[in-house]
Amino acid sequence: MVERAGNQSVLSWFLQRISGLFLAFFLITHLNVHHLFHDITTEGIIDFASVQANLASSVWWQVYYFLFVPLIAFHAMNGLWAILADYRPSGGPAIILKTLFWVVGFVLTAVGALTLINLFGGGQ
Amino acid sequence: MMAEKSKLKGTVADIGLNKNLGNLAFWIHRISGFGLTVYLLMHTYVLSSAISSPRSFDARMGQVQNPFFAVLEILLIAGVLVHMLNGLRITLIDFFDWSRSHKALFWAAVVLFALMMILVIYLQLPKFNPENYGMGG
Repeated sequence: MVERAGNQSVLSWFLQRISGLFLAFFLITHLNVHHLFHDITTEGIIDFASVQANLASSVWWQVYYFLFVPLIAFHAMNGLWAILADYRPSGGPAIILKTLFWVVGFVLTAVGALTLINLFGGGQ
Repeated sequence: MMAEKSKLKGTVADIGLNKNLGNLAFWIHRISGFGLTVYLLMHTYVLSSAISSPRSFDARMGQVQNPFFAVLEILLIAGVLVHMLNGLRITLIDFFDWSRSHKALFWAAVVLFALMMILVIYLQLPKFNPENYGMGG
C-alpha cells in the first residue's frame, strides 16, 4: 500500500469559499473600473499615467489592490491543490506539488505587490 | 504513477457516465478555474512591466488593446462570471445545506449569466471599432 496524502483539508475547503466570496466583490469592482466602464472613445487606451491617476484617486484603491493580489493568488493555488487532492497523490509527489503551489503563490503575490508599488509610486 | 494515470482515465469515463447537471457544473468549475489561473499568470506578467519602467508598461499595454483582444476580453469576463456564479452556487449549497436545490440554483446562475453577458457585450461594443483606438491616452 502506497501512503496517500489524503483529500483537501476542512480549512482549505473553508478558506476557498471565504476567499471566493471576497473575490466576487473584488472582481466585479475591478472588471467594471478597468475593463468594462473604461470608455475607449473619450479616455483612450489604458497606459501608465491613466492607471496611476486612477489608483492615486483614493487611498482605498491601495488597500483594495494589496488585499486583492494575495487573495486571488491564494484562491488560485488552493483551487489547483483541491483538484490535485482529488486524485489522492502519494506522499512524495504530494509534498513536491504542495511546495510548488506555495512558491508560485508567493512569487505571484510578490510580483503583483512590486507592480503595484511602481504604479502607485510613479516608477522611475 | 500508474495509479494516478488510471484515476485520470476513470475521470474521463466519469464525465460520460454521470450525465447530470451537478457533474456538468463540477467540470465547468474546474476547467474555468484552471483557465483563470493561466490568465492570472499572463495578466501579472504583462502588468509587471511597470516594475522596469512606465515606457515598457505602455509598450506592452499597447499590444493588448485592440479589437482582437476586446473579443478575448469578453471570453475572459465570461470565464470569470461562470466561475463566480457557480462558486456562489457551491457556497450556498455548502453553507446553507441547499443541495436539494442544486439544479434550480444552476438554472438561476445560467439566467444571471445570460443577463450579465448582454450588458458586458454592449459595454464592449466601442472596443470593436479600430478607429476608437489611438485617441487620448
